[in-house]
Amino acid sequence: MSDALSEDGSEQNDSQEELMTPVELIAKLEEAWLNEKFSPDLLENKSEIVECVMEQLTHMEDNLQRVSKGDMKASVHRMEIDRIRFVLSSYLRSRLQKIEKFFPHVLEKEKSRADGDPSYLSPEEYAFAREYLANTETYLKAVALRHMPPNLQAVDMMKAVPEPCLDSFVFLRVKEQQDNIMVEPETDDQREYVVDLDVGSQHLMRYRTIAPLVSTGAVQLI
Amino acid sequence: MDPAEVEFLAEKEIVKIIPNFSLDKIYLIGGDLGPFNPGLPVQVPVWLALNLKQRQKCRILPPQWMDVDKLEEVREMERKEDSFTPPPSPYYMELTKLLLNHASDNIPKADEIRTLVKDIWDTRIAKLRLSADSFISQQEAHAKLDNLTLMEINTTRSFLLGSLNCMFKLRSNMQPGTSTGKGPDY
Repeated sequence: MSDALSEDGSEQNDSQEELMTPVELIAKLEEAWLNEKFSPDLLENKSEIVECVMEQLTHMEDNLQRVSKGDMKASVHRMEIDRIRFVLSSYLRSRLQKIEKFFPHVLEKEKSRADGDPSYLSPEEYAFAREYLANTETYLKAVALRHMPPNLQAVDMMKAVPEPCLDSFVFLRVKEQQDNIMVEPETDDQREYVVDLDVGSQHLMRYRTIAPLVSTGAVQLI
Repeated sequence: MDPAEVEFLAEKEIVKIIPNFSLDKIYLIGGDLGPFNPGLPVQVPVWLALNLKQRQKCRILPPQWMDVDKLEEVREMERKEDSFTPPPSPYYMELTKLLLNHASDNIPKADEIRTLVKDIWDTRIAKLRLSADSFISQQEAHAKLDNLTLMEINTTRSFLLGSLNCMFKLRSNMQPGTSTGKGPDY
């Protein structure tokens, strides 16, 4: 008797060329979630992962609708759906928090990127950021700026909102061997030195040095 | 990060259970489970094991490392060494709490295990406090923390990272030529 809730071990995702099993997809979602949570800056948008996960969740929920309630399997599937949904919402929520915190810089970064580079914002996030900027400007004008003397009525958002601090310290775990990572000194009398990052080791260092490694997936923030 | 979120990650660990019901294979998004046959052990993630246990549908078998003798050895090693020894499991604290709270009847000598794990935790946290202290006072820029578990890192995360960022801000303001509009947030 075939299980109405069973699915293929590997599904092809239409939005990209590589074959990714659902297991790998969920693992990638969790990695993206942790990286986004702990990085001081807004990371690249992983919209293909988000879309695929949403597809899986809606597919599974549709299946569950068709099966009788109170079934043992249905409850297990439902628990799993809740867990995945939590990770997904938390991921999107931390992105939105960062967009709200750094909105002028995020929009500037998006405007100034080259056409071939991956985008930092999904279309919905971009619309959200622009509306947030417009609303904040309107609010500041209405509440304070129009009461100021005429030559002080402009506010430069890029200066008014603090930039993300890329020099924050982060904890990370190494997934791919990296050699000769430069560590900059804290005080003037120390000299800079290099460290090798071995696979599976955990470190504490500045985000700035390892930021490119996070985007390529060579290290995982923890 | 919330301790509850660390526990969420710990719940993905695999543990052996003995079900008292039968069910054929389940094809979850995150992998396949089962088939379940009464009396035969099967490997499931902790979140499912706890749910089944609460519905009285299974018996949980303690993981390999959750054994009084093994944990005593770990505790002695931890007390002897100055640096961190490899933990019994990357999620030993969360798993001990979860399994002993919900399934202590399935785990032999539960109270002793609880005390041993707490001792190991206390020793490791004391070492962590000392090494964080020396990290800050020597103003190092890099530290290797191989054998630390996520829960231990999470305990000091907000304080340690917050103070390091604060110190960076103070230092960079003392040097001329810093860019405007930039600052770590609190």
